[in-house]
Order: sequence, then structure tokens, then C-alpha cells
Amino acid sequence: MKSPVLEIIKVSKSYGTGPTSVAAVKEVSLEIDAGQIILVMGPSGSGKTTLLLLLGALLRPTEGSIRLNGVEVGELSERRLPAIRLQQIGFIFQDFNLLSALNVLENVALVARLAGLKKEAARTKAQAILGELGLASRLYFLPEKLSGGEKQRVAIARALVNEPALVLADEPTANLDSKIGHEVMHLLKRIAKEQGRSVVIVSHDQRIKDVADRVLWLEDGEFKEIAHMATDPVCQMAVERNKAITGEWEGQTYYFCSKGCRNEFMETPGEFGNLAEVLHHH
Amino acid sequence: MLLLLAWRNLFQKKVRFAASAGGVALALSLMLMLDAVFQGVEGQLTAYMDNSGADLFVSQQGVKAMHMAASWLPATLGDQIKKVEGVSAATPLLYLSTTLKSKDKSYAVYLFGIAPDAEMGKPWQVAEGKTVPASGETVLDRNLAANLKLKMGDNLKVLGREFKVAGLSEGTGGLISSMVFIARDDFTQLRNNLPVVSYFLVKVVPGADPQVVAARLQASLSGTTVQTKDEFAAQERKLVKDMGADVLNIVNLIGFGIGLAVVALTTYIAIFTRRAEYGLLKALGARNSHLYRQVLSQVLVSVAIGFGVSLALTILLSFIVPLVSTNLVLAIGWAAVIKVILVSLIIAGIAAVLPVWQLGRLDPALVFKKGGL
Ligand SMILES: Nc1ncnc2c1ncn2[C@@H]1O[C@H](COP(=O)(O)OP(=O)(O)O)[C@@H](O)[C@H]1O
Ligand SMILES: [Mg+2]
Repeated sequence: MKSPVLEIIKVSKSYGTGPTSVAAVKEVSLEIDAGQIILVMGPSGSGKTTLLLLLGALLRPTEGSIRLNGVEVGELSERRLPAIRLQQIGFIFQDFNLLSALNVLENVALVARLAGLKKEAARTKAQAILGELGLASRLYFLPEKLSGGEKQRVAIARALVNEPALVLADEPTANLDSKIGHEVMHLLKRIAKEQGRSVVIVSHDQRIKDVADRVLWLEDGEFKEIAHMATDPVCQMAVERNKAITGEWEGQTYYFCSKGCRNEFMETPGEFGNLAEVLHHH
Repeated sequence: MLLLLAWRNLFQKKVRFAASAGGVALALSLMLMLDAVFQGVEGQLTAYMDNSGADLFVSQQGVKAMHMAASWLPATLGDQIKKVEGVSAATPLLYLSTTLKSKDKSYAVYLFGIAPDAEMGKPWQVAEGKTVPASGETVLDRNLAANLKLKMGDNLKVLGREFKVAGLSEGTGGLISSMVFIARDDFTQLRNNLPVVSYFLVKVVPGADPQVVAARLQASLSGTTVQTKDEFAAQERKLVKDMGADVLNIVNLIGFGIGLAVVALTTYIAIFTRRAEYGLLKALGARNSHLYRQVLSQVLVSVAIGFGVSLALTILLSFIVPLVSTNLVLAIGWAAVIKVILVSLIIAGIAAVLPVWQLGRLDPALVFKKGGL
């Protein structure tokens, strides 16, 4: 077994002290492996943003341990945190948060520059990533000239330019229409599966369940129920493993939303291949 | 790349940037121009010394300058001076300061009495007419004559006596005082024929060290003060400096205050309105030092451009002013430029303090909170 990319053990976070103190996150534990997509859902005020801030080394836990690639992040000095954030973590925001004065290429290259890359190297790398995300024709556009989906792809490129182990996204589809939101979701999935990055998404968007490996439900600062999710290889729907119809093929277990899908799969299992490949073609 | 961002942020808000740089330019111009005015006045005040042709000035003991001074020396002292080793010529000069009135204005003047055969101390550039006035004639500064509405051949009343304008001189005007020349004998008469002169202008023999000759003169002449031309001029400049010090200090303070207020305010606003972006940069992993450099480069660019504009403006004005005003001369000195550069840097430094403090305290966690930043 590989050790998990991110390991949080009994992490609590309280805002303030004394009688007015608010316990936003309570003794939460979680392990995330490379290539895994975790979706955190929950009602407003349940502690989702707080959890994301803790994972992003933007907030120190009141108690507990957060280990990112074996490094105890909570114990690092304030001076070392910016480097961790730059190199290990990519952030994606609901409202994109691009720098309005810089063009697409500069927005992405800036973050590579901050991480220590030389000017030319940073630009080359930014250009390559933007190209992969289909933004080659938008390099010199200012953010204001882009559509919402393009902006979010630029933000994703920025999050990836330093090749982080962990990508954190806060409501990444909330400001996008459903078609574009769908594209962004699958882009995040590709990033996880092809590049082996761990992705944590906080969202209300039910459709993100489709791409998540696990869905966590946060309520009152605690995980109430952890549903292990799988994707139906036939219809691509997200299904909860413990409730799904299963089928075995070549020693692997597959999960289906319905008997129909399972029957279809079992007739010609070779056509669907393994899960990763299915997603790739998608 | 961060500098690029600072630059873009600065120029994206053109009005604010113009206000910032313009405010600095205005404030620094105030300082530069007033300094240039004083520098110009200094040049005007020492014009006579610089152009008289004299190496040394002999005056009554204790009298070190011309402006607001009166010096009396026996006319016979000239022969004594000429005997001293190293002296090639000595010219007596009669001098006093008085005022001339036009219909509605009065003008301060330096009145010089010079002999027809004077070797030194004559008007050095003449626009029209004679250089040396004969008895009953006067040669006066051209601009002064214009102000007094006098043409060649007109009469001018000086110390109660009429003189005919026989020449108009150049470079002899000034903001404080202008020069009027009459014949030495007329001047003596106005002083009731007393056998006294004001100064002796002394030329040393070629190759002699003026300083050495001055010391020799000082040792052999009692009741006198002997100074080299440079010492004499320096005394004159010191007078202006002392007179102008208060005004200069006040204007410098005002300029500093305006400049600082404008830059500090516009920078504070520029940083404050973009605090979300700076918070984002912090969250992404930018260090505080990166952000401080943003502030500093923005402030420095504003101040540097403001300084450039103010210098250009002052230089431009120094060319235009003489075309418009007759007696005002703007002279820009290195000392003033360096002083204003230092003031600019101090302004930049102080203006950066508040935004830097603000960015230092900015909590990057706020990027994830709606409306948090
Ligand atoms: N900076 C803060 N100071 C005090 N209380 C806070 C702060 N941030 C969040 N909280 C509180 O912590 C709880 C969890 O908030 P949050 O993590 O923002 O939840 P969510 O993102 O799920 O809406 C809420 O009760 C909220 O009021
Ligand atoms: Mg939230």
C-alpha cells in the first residue's frame, strides 16, 4: 500500500475562545490517495470552507494532525507555509479569482514564477498547460474578455502549473452553466486520473457526485456518513458502492446503476475496458 | 512578473495614477521652482562681482558685501593699493543703493559711479548706446529702463538730479535690484564732493595668486577688508540664503506635505481596492515580501514620474519666464535637484508604510469566504 497523499487525523478547528467560541470542524479524520476525487457536501455553515482552509494550509487546526505527503503541515512555521501552498497545493475558486490586470498567460506564469521558475521557463510551462486545456488561442486575452468556462479553465491551469499533489476546489461549478460545469467536472476528473493528483471539491452541485470517488457529508463539523462511490462503466452515472448492483469481470468488481447496464456490460465486457479507459474516451 | 502586475495595476487606473503622479509633480515643482528663483536671484546679485573684471575687492573694514551695505574708503587709498606687490590695477568704485520711482511703482537700484577711464566695474554688455556715462549721463539696465518707460535720450531723476539716458545695459537687472551707472564725478558731487569712494576693484598681475595678493593687501592697508571675488560673491549669496531661508523652508514643508498626502492617499486606495487580489496572491503562496515590493514599486514609479514631470516643468519654465518677465530668472542647481530627489524618496518611503502594514495583516484565508475580502 502506498501511503496517502493527505492524511488528517482527528482535526478540530474552533473560531474564537471562551463562551463565544464556535467549533467549526470537530475531530474529522480522512485519508486521500493519489488520483482520488473527494467531494465534500453539506449544508451551509457545516464547516466545509473551514475544512478546505485547513487542507490548504491557510488555517491551523486547533487540534489534530494534517499530513501532506508525510509533512506535518500544522506544525510548520508561518514562513514555510507559502512554499507548501505554492508547490503542493492548487486552489480553484468559485469566482475564478484571476488577476484582472494580467492576461491569461501571465496569470498562470505568475504562479510558476513565485515558485522560483525563471521567466522564460514559467511562460513556457504556463503555455503548455493552457494549451492542454484548450486555451492556446486565448493566451493574450485579459480575464474580462473570457467566458466563465474559459476563466475557470485558466484558474485550473494556474492551480496545476506547479504540479501540486493536492488540488482544492471550492464550488468550482457554481458560477457556470450546467454544460460548462459538466466540462469542468470532467476536467477535474481527468486531472485526478491521468495526472494522479488528489482532488478535494467542496460543492452543492449534485452532478459532481458523478465524478467523485467518495462523497463525504459534513454536518455540524462532522462527517455523518461516508458513501463510497463508483461510476457505472456503461452509463457513467455515479453509484454508491454499497447500494449498487455489482458484477465481476477478470477479477474486478464493477458497480452498476441498474440491471440493464449490468447486462449490457456482461454481454461485451471487453468493449468497456477498465474504468480509467472509459473515462479517457469520454 | 510581480513588477509587471504592479505596473499594470498602476496604469489600469489612469485617473488615479495621473492624480498621484500629478500631485507629486505639483508639489515637487513648487520646491524646485522656488529654489530656482532664489538661485536666479543669487546669480543676479553676484552678477556685478562676476563680471566686473576684478580679482579682489577692497572695502571698509567689516563690510563684506554690497547688498544692504555701505562702505567708505579714502579716495587716496588707490595709490597705496597700486604700490603693493602683485597688484596690476586698482579702480575706485562709488556705490549706494537707492530707489527710482515710476508713476505707480518704485524700483530698488544699485547706483554705481565709474570714471571714464575705469579699467573695471563698467557695464559688461550694452544693448544700445554708450558703455561709460559721461557727466550728466546715465547708463542703466535695459529692463529697468523699460519699466520706467525710458528711451535713449530721456531724462532720469537720480538723487534729485536729472541724467540723460545714454546707454542701456544687459544682464544688469534683478528681481531685487537693478543697476544704474553714472559718472564718478557726478556721484562725488552728489556726495558733496567728499573725497571718499566705496570700494576699490583690484586686478592682480598675470600669474599672481589672488589669495596671496589679498593677504598682502590686507596686511599693508589698515581699516579695510580685502576679499577675493569669490569670497565677496559668497558673502552676497549668503545674504540671499539667510533672507530666503524661512520662505524656502515653509514652501519645502508645504511641498513635502502635499506630495506625501497625495502619494500616500492614492497608494493606499490603489492597494485597498485590490486587497482581494493581494489576498489571493498570498493564498496562492506569495510571500509578504513579494507584496511589499508591489507597494514600493508602485509608489516609486508614481514619485519618479512626478519628479520627472516637475523637473521638466521647471526647466521649461526657466526658458519661458525670461521671455515673459523681465527680472525673474530661474536657475536650477544640482543641490536643489538632489534635495528634491531625496524628498521624493522620503515621500515614497512614508507613503508605503500604511499599505505595507495593510498587506502584512491581510488574511489569505479570506479568499475562500464570500465577500470576505
Ligand atoms: N472567521 C470565523 N470566525 C468565527 N466563526 C467562523 C469563522 N468562519 C466560519 N465561522 C463559523 O464556523 C462555522 C463553519 O463555517 P464554514 O466553514 O464557513 O461553513 P460552510 O463553508 O460549510 O458554510 C459556521 O458556524 C461559521 O459561522
Ligand atoms: Mg463556505
